Amino acid sequence: MDTSIIRFENVSQIYDGAGPVLNDVSFELEKGKFYTLLGPSGCGKTTILRLIAGFITPTKGDVYIEGKKVNNIPANERQVNTVFQDYALFPHLNVFENVAFGLRIKKLKKAEVERRVKEALEFVNLKGYENREISEMSGGQRQRVAIARAIVNDPEVILLDEPLSALDLKLRTEMQYELRELQQRLGKTFIFVTHDQEEALAMSDEIFVMKAGEIQQSGTPMDIYDEPINRFVADFIGESNIVAGEMIEDYRVRFANKEFECVDQGLNPNEQVEIVIRPEDLEITSVSQGKMAVTVDTQLFRGVHFEISTIDEVGNEWLVHSTKKAEVGSLIGLDFDPEAIHVMRLNESEEAFDARLESYGAEADEK
Amino acid sequence: MEKLSKKAKVYLALVFFILYAPIFYLIFYSFNSGGTMSNFDGFTMEHYAAVFNDTRLLIILMNTVIIALLSSLISTAIGVLGAIGIVFLRNRKMRNAVLSLNNILIVSPDVIIGASFLILFTMIGVKLGFASVLISHIAFSIPIVVIMVLPKLQEMSSTLIDAAADLGATKRDILTRVIIPYIKPGIFAGFFLALTYSLDDFAVTFFVTGNGFSTLSVEIYSMARAGITLTINALSALIFVITLGLVVGYYFFNQRARNSIGTGGH
Repeated sequence: MDTSIIRFENVSQIYDGAGPVLNDVSFELEKGKFYTLLGPSGCGKTTILRLIAGFITPTKGDVYIEGKKVNNIPANERQVNTVFQDYALFPHLNVFENVAFGLRIKKLKKAEVERRVKEALEFVNLKGYENREISEMSGGQRQRVAIARAIVNDPEVILLDEPLSALDLKLRTEMQYELRELQQRLGKTFIFVTHDQEEALAMSDEIFVMKAGEIQQSGTPMDIYDEPINRFVADFIGESNIVAGEMIEDYRVRFANKEFECVDQGLNPNEQVEIVIRPEDLEITSVSQGKMAVTVDTQLFRGVHFEISTIDEVGNEWLVHSTKKAEVGSLIGLDFDPEAIHVMRLNESEEAFDARLESYGAEADEK
Repeated sequence: MEKLSKKAKVYLALVFFILYAPIFYLIFYSFNSGGTMSNFDGFTMEHYAAVFNDTRLLIILMNTVIIALLSSLISTAIGVLGAIGIVFLRNRKMRNAVLSLNNILIVSPDVIIGASFLILFTMIGVKLGFASVLISHIAFSIPIVVIMVLPKLQEMSSTLIDAAADLGATKRDILTRVIIPYIKPGIFAGFFLALTYSLDDFAVTFFVTGNGFSTLSVEIYSMARAGITLTINALSALIFVITLGLVVGYYFFNQRARNSIGTGGH
């Protein structure tokens, strides 16, 4: 219990006249980890952040920070700091004063303020920019000022609301590394909100995938990528081939009019399921050697790989990522390992799903 | 910017000439030793000397300036708080209603405002004079300040307030450290506009003044009714020059503020 820093207990958020933005959400976050709330816009991820920051109070349920109920504690009395999507830097103050804002409110001694601001700016590689105006800073630099302004107060938790969405691709990738490194150096809890699954996978210790005010699945990036709980998660995280299938018995699954060996068990015989195979797990081979024969429909060159869209005999579309080229219109074979097949039950709860994966034991762990 | 055609230039010059001619005519004759505005006898400064020798006139001038400064200061304070209140009104209908009430006061004729204040003051027994003039000037200046401050407030991102609260700022800190500095240009604009409105107000002041208290515009009016003396011309010329100075000063002030925002201080 000691390591817990933030806890939500059955939190719901409802605005007048609209459906719930958050629907009975419960979770617990541990100290010193990098968490990501991932989901499409309007899924409630920013609402969770605003609840933690204290900008809004929950309609139902309780929010705890370090074991203390904080429902009625205003934002200015909470030990958390936020990096906003639009950075929210004060335009009338220069870089130094922006970072010093929180310390000045606390009425710290001048020398102390100076020392800590300098330290924070050094932390985000902005040494020597103290006297610049905000209008003179580039997007990436403003981003760093915003981060410095948050970390200078030495909060237990740092909240980041889609902070990279305004940056261009190259800078965004760079900042992903920096943020991750910063979090590890500081050892603070970071809660990062994004709709970009690549960002989430690259940076997080743990991801919460959200949809329509509910947490769909939580787990490490690897867990979520390899073992998505349902169609939504599989589709939202990375590219997926999702087709309908039928569990014949343990370790035997049927889809695309064929039976395949798989690693899943414990389902009801002949249960209707959904099958996920990631495009990079499909390998192009000859028709005779492949487990499945498909026709090449279209092919795009993506730089790292070819993205080949193929269609099997019953009309399922299979996306393949391959470094090998295929010929449009030709019949090719697709090969894959039994481990590449991920079976999803329909409407399975997260608890049941986790329990099922656990029961696979060592076999599943190897994946 | 597109270059103006010759025709347009001539037209523009003509318009400005017509607008400014009476003022320059008036200023020109303020130097007339003849004592009338019909024929120019010779150059003299005696009308200006008369202005400065007339202690009554100087006291009135002082009154005018004091009323203008006090009323614009007070109305700026009230107007700024009012504008902030309006912007943060949650209820949209309520906000629009308050804003409309504010705007009606701006467009309603001075005569009506003056007359209604006169009725109010006599009803509640406020002695006409300094206080009544000051109160009514504050009253008609507040809506002006509100309308000048409002755009700046609306332009301010609400995340700035969230950010300040997030960094530990209390409501008071947010007001003094974030909102007021952010809308400062609007506050100055509102203050200057209120100042000029108060300085040149005639109609409202005319209604609510009394007991020997007077401001320049009212005084000039009564002097003009008593018969034309070139002292009025001299006084008007002085006011014109001072106003010109204020406008130029405001222009440079604005220019500097804009520069420091655009390229930053060094």
